[in-house]
Amino acid sequence: METRPRGGRKSRLRPGGLAWLAPGFVLSVGLIYYCIFYSGFLSFFSWRGGTSKMTFVGWDNYAKAFDSPVFWSAIWHTIVFFVVVFAVQVVGGVAFATAMHSGLKFATLYKVIVFVPVVIAPAIMAPAHIQVWSSDGTANAILDLLGLGGLAQGWIGQSSTSLMVVTLVQCWGAVGFGFLLYFAAMSQIEQEMLEAARLDGAGNLRILWSIILPNVKATTVSLAILNFITALKLFDNPWLLTQGGPAHSSEFLGTMIYSEVSGQSRSLGYASALSMILLVIAVVVSVLMNTTGRDRPARMKARRLAPAETGAQDV
Amino acid sequence: MFEIRSRAQRLVLQLAVTLAMIPFLIPIVTMVQRSLQGRGWGNYLAVLQVPGFGRFFLNSFIIAACSIALVYLFTMMASFGFSKLRIRSKEVYFWLMMAALTLPEVVLIAPLYVTAVRLGMLGSFWSVILPIAALQIPFTTLITRAFVDGIPDALFEAARIDGASTWKTFWYVLIPLARPIAVAICILVLINAWNSYLLPKMFLINDNMGTVTLLPEFFKRQYNDDTPKVLAAAVLTAIPEVVAYISLQKQFERGMAFGALK
Repeated sequence: METRPRGGRKSRLRPGGLAWLAPGFVLSVGLIYYCIFYSGFLSFFSWRGGTSKMTFVGWDNYAKAFDSPVFWSAIWHTIVFFVVVFAVQVVGGVAFATAMHSGLKFATLYKVIVFVPVVIAPAIMAPAHIQVWSSDGTANAILDLLGLGGLAQGWIGQSSTSLMVVTLVQCWGAVGFGFLLYFAAMSQIEQEMLEAARLDGAGNLRILWSIILPNVKATTVSLAILNFITALKLFDNPWLLTQGGPAHSSEFLGTMIYSEVSGQSRSLGYASALSMILLVIAVVVSVLMNTTGRDRPARMKARRLAPAETGAQDV
Repeated sequence: MFEIRSRAQRLVLQLAVTLAMIPFLIPIVTMVQRSLQGRGWGNYLAVLQVPGFGRFFLNSFIIAACSIALVYLFTMMASFGFSKLRIRSKEVYFWLMMAALTLPEVVLIAPLYVTAVRLGMLGSFWSVILPIAALQIPFTTLITRAFVDGIPDALFEAARIDGASTWKTFWYVLIPLARPIAVAICILVLINAWNSYLLPKMFLINDNMGTVTLLPEFFKRQYNDDTPKVLAAAVLTAIPEVVAYISLQKQFERGMAFGALK
C-alpha cells in the first residue's frame, strides 16, 4: 500500500498516496472514459449488437441524426422543456422560499408537501400521474368542477398535449428542489441589509427584486446548469408517461437513445452517435454557462461551504 | 424576508401558500384514492400477497447498500489521497476526474450494454452498481476533498509523529472527522441508487432481480392493467421513501442540496 518515504522531513510526514487514489479513480474515470471512447468508436459502425455483422459506415450515423426530423423535434422538446421547467422552478422556488422566510405558520408541513415529490422516484409516481392526466382523470374532473368541462381532453394520449404533460410532471418534482436551494441561499442574506433597505423605504417587491434576487444569483445559475443537463438526458418521465409518443410528440434524446439500444430494431451505432452528440452539447453548454453565468465556479462555493460545516448547518 | 405588518396580509399570504399546495397534493391524493377503488384495502392485500413482492425491495436495498459502500470507501480514500498525501501531479488526476462531473448516464448505456453482454454481466447487480458508483464518485470526491482540505494538516502530522501508519491515520483521524460530509454523501447516493430507473430497466431483465422502480411495470404485466392494484403497489413502494425522508428530513435536504453544487 504505502510507498517508502524518500527522506526529508516534509515527505516523511506526507506519505505517498497513489494507492489511495487508485480504486476510485479506476472505477469512475476508467469506466466513464472507457464508455465515452467506446461509444465514439461504435458511432462509426452500423451494428445490431450480438453476433450480427459490424459494418464501418463513417459519419453516416451522424448524418442520419442531422437529417432526421425526429432528432430535431427531440432537440426542440429539450429546449421547451428546459425553459418551462427552469422558469417554474425559479418562480415557484423563490416564491415558496420567501414566503417560508416570512414567518408563516405550518412552514414545516408546507416544506414536506413540496419536497416529497423530489424524493419519490419518478418511476413510482408515474402510474399516479397517468391517472391525473388520462381522459377520465383528476385534471378533467377539476376542469369540470370549475365549469370548464368543455376543455376536458385526453391530455396524455394526444400529440398536441403530451409534451405539456411530461413538462408539468417534471415541474411537480422540480419546484421543491428549487425551494430547498433558494431557502438555504436566502438564510445567508444579512438581516442588516434588509433592514437598511426597509429604512430607506423599500417595499416588499422592491426588496425581492433588488436585494434577495441578486443575492441568490449563484443558486439560479446552478439551477440553470442542472436543469439543462436534466433536460438533455431526460428519460424517466417521458418514457414512463408517453414512451416519447404519440408520434414522437414527446420524444427526447434520452428516449431516442434508449429505444435504439433496447428496441426491436436495435441500432447501437446510431445510439452511440446520438450519445456523442448529446455529450458534446452537454459539455459545450455547461462550459458556456459556467464561464458566463457564474462569478465564481461552484467548486469555490463548495470549498467555502464545506470546512465550516460541522453538521449544525440549517437547511 | 418580508415584513408583514397587518394581520390581513398575513392571512392572505397563508391562504395563498395553502392554495399553492393543492397541485402538489393532487397526484398523491389521486394515487391513494384510486388505489382503493373496487376492492378497497383488498387491493393492498392482493399486492402484498404477490410472490416476489418483497424481492424488489431486497434488490433495491442490495444495490443501494453496495453503491453506498463503494462510493463511501473510494471517496474517502481518494479525498485523503488528494488532500493529505503526496501524489505527483495530483491535480492532473483531479482534473481528469472532474471532467466527468456532469456526465449524463444515458450516454453510457450503449457501450455499457455491449460490454455487459460481452462479459455476461447482463442480469447481474454489478452491471447496475458499478455505473451508479462510477457516476457518483467524481462529485462526492469533489465535495469531500474540499471538506478534508479544511481539516488542519497538523492533526495528520501529529498522528504520524505518534507512530500511526497511513492506514491508522485514515481510520482514526480522517474517517471520524469527515463524518458530517459522509452523511450527506450516503444520503445522496441512497436517493440516486434507490430511484434509478434507466440502469435497472436496461440490465436487470429478470423479474426476480427487479428493483422497486420496476414494480409498477411488473404489476401492469401481472394484473393486465388492473389500475387500482398497480396504484396500490405504487403507494406501498412510495411509503418507505416518504417515511425515510420525514424521519431524516435535515439529512435528506442537505444531501440533495449538495447535489446541486455540481
